[in-house]
Amino acid sequence: MKSQVRSQVRAARIAFALVVPLALLAQTTPDFSGVYYPVNPFGNFRGGPPAGARPTASAPLADGSTGRGPDEPLLTPEYMAKWKEISKSLVAGSSEYDLTAKCLPPGMPAVMSMFYGMEVMHDKDKITFFSELNDAMRRVYLDGRKPSQKALDDPTYAGYSTGHWERDTLVVDTVAIRGDTFIEGITPHSEAMTVHERIRLIEPTLLEDRITVSDPKALKKPWETVKTYRKAKPGTGTDELREFACAEGIADAK
Amino acid sequence: MKVPPIVSCAVAAAAILLAPLAQAHHSNSAFYVTKVITIKGVVKEFKWTNPHVWVIVTVDDGKGNKVDWKAEGRPPGILARAGWTPKILQPGETVTIDLSPAKDDTASGLIARVTKEDGTILANAPPPTE
Amino acid sequence: MKALLIALSVTGAMYAQAPPDFSGVYYPVNPFGRFTGGPAAGAATSTPKGPPPRPTASAPLSDGSRGRAPDAPSLTPEYMAKWEMISKTRIAGSSEYDLTAKCLPPGMPGMMSMAYGMEVMQNKDKITFFSELNDALRRVYLDGRKPSQKVLDDPTYAGYSTGHWEGGTLLVDTVALRDNTFIEGFTPHSDAMTVHERIRLKEPGLLEDQITVTDPKALTKPWETVKTYRKAKPGTGTDELREFACAEGLGEAK
Repeated sequence: MKSQVRSQVRAARIAFALVVPLALLAQTTPDFSGVYYPVNPFGNFRGGPPAGARPTASAPLADGSTGRGPDEPLLTPEYMAKWKEISKSLVAGSSEYDLTAKCLPPGMPAVMSMFYGMEVMHDKDKITFFSELNDAMRRVYLDGRKPSQKALDDPTYAGYSTGHWERDTLVVDTVAIRGDTFIEGITPHSEAMTVHERIRLIEPTLLEDRITVSDPKALKKPWETVKTYRKAKPGTGTDELREFACAEGIADAK
Repeated sequence: MKVPPIVSCAVAAAAILLAPLAQAHHSNSAFYVTKVITIKGVVKEFKWTNPHVWVIVTVDDGKGNKVDWKAEGRPPGILARAGWTPKILQPGETVTIDLSPAKDDTASGLIARVTKEDGTILANAPPPTE
Repeated sequence: MKALLIALSVTGAMYAQAPPDFSGVYYPVNPFGRFTGGPAAGAATSTPKGPPPRPTASAPLSDGSRGRAPDAPSLTPEYMAKWEMISKTRIAGSSEYDLTAKCLPPGMPGMMSMAYGMEVMQNKDKITFFSELNDALRRVYLDGRKPSQKVLDDPTYAGYSTGHWEGGTLLVDTVALRDNTFIEGFTPHSDAMTVHERIRLKEPGLLEDQITVTDPKALTKPWETVKTYRKAKPGTGTDELREFACAEGLGEAK
């Protein structure tokens, strides 16, 4: 009798050892949740000179006064003209076209520059990306739903995003993006713009977002860029973002 | 630094010309929320904007004058759940609006309900959850 | 066979002890207290006898002109005087003390009224509550961390929240709250205010938040309130919240 129980316990242990890992393996999609900071968010802006030297700039030049960079989106003549107008107003010192200065969401794909911090939460049905800059949120629906006509008729800053997993890569499509945002910097686009992303962890703490922007009206050809984000180290306090509450900086509303 | 008189005049003039429209965002306490009046007129503009939807309606006051009323609605996301769409109202169509008038006596109010000419009723909130 | 059954039931027991998942989109049940909505708020349904009755109100009266409700927080004389001062400005039509009209976050516990929709995302380390009204986010840390001195010295609208599970109930404590927010309506509080919550699913699809507000300077006794939220029905389009982008309504920012 005793040996029967012992062998049953042994068998149970073996079965347990098999079942639990299999159950865990069934959840094969990676977990992107966490707080991240962008790697090199300002592109070519080298930050300061060596420590101790007098600074030569306080922020990246973002008014287009040095012309279009070679890796910027390639605009059609019509949208190049729009860009020149916007550049003129920025060079003159105006914030008229500066969405973030007005406490507005940067819009897609610009929000994925995540100039400050990024907070990702996800479950099997949805993944949310929250940008510390202006507390801007975007949602990616993962449950197979498609944008409704109502969503397509109501463009927003973040647009409407749906995604699915291809093994360890999250593939996302965003449509219904407002026409008054900028692709990056002050590059305008049309309402025909759509964004495609491939997001994955290239190392356990390094998240990569490969972005492709298509806009048959504004771009001569689709534009590609890659954003990388380093996960915040736990225990350093940097894995907590602070609210932005931008509107405090706007003069009293009526 | 002393501001030259001509500059302060210009600033004052600009302030008057650029006086905040009733379209600025303000709280419900700017309206007599428990009082509802009814206006009827022609839609001049329908703005599906954040954080409030606006219906600008030209109303004939019966004495030969036309007044543009600014009717403020709830945010687009909320009205969308009540059946509104970005194009539910078009300039030129006649609407009846029940609204709470503004306390500052301007021709503006907080929408309680919009009724289109064909009888379609647009409530100002989605149906309650329970 | 018997061993496998034992293994499976042990695994099942392990999973059964996992805390409930609150993730999803919800709408508050009766967010405006005694304001019952219906025809008084412009309901769209016609009755069989004809068109619906004319609305008698557009929104709840929120200027204090009817005095303090019996279930409102019990204020000390000093804070009652503040409330009366604010009420006067609101009766006169001013938005000076209206945070949400200024596109600011409502703060805690005010944001848990969730006047519009609520979106909850959860994993084992954190649960976030996102309020459709002004796109306000609060985070509750579940990994056992405590507020650092840096956090305690930097009060925010949402405050700093930590929580832990007791069976199916999430217990949350919030500290480091800014004192320019309102407990509910426009009831002021001091910088000594803290908030305690017990959050649970009363039934599948019905989330309940029992809130206790303690403020030795502003309240004569702790104040309690209960918020309930109904989970949005999938497939109806109502399980998608729309961005708020409040700042658009603030006119030209400097």
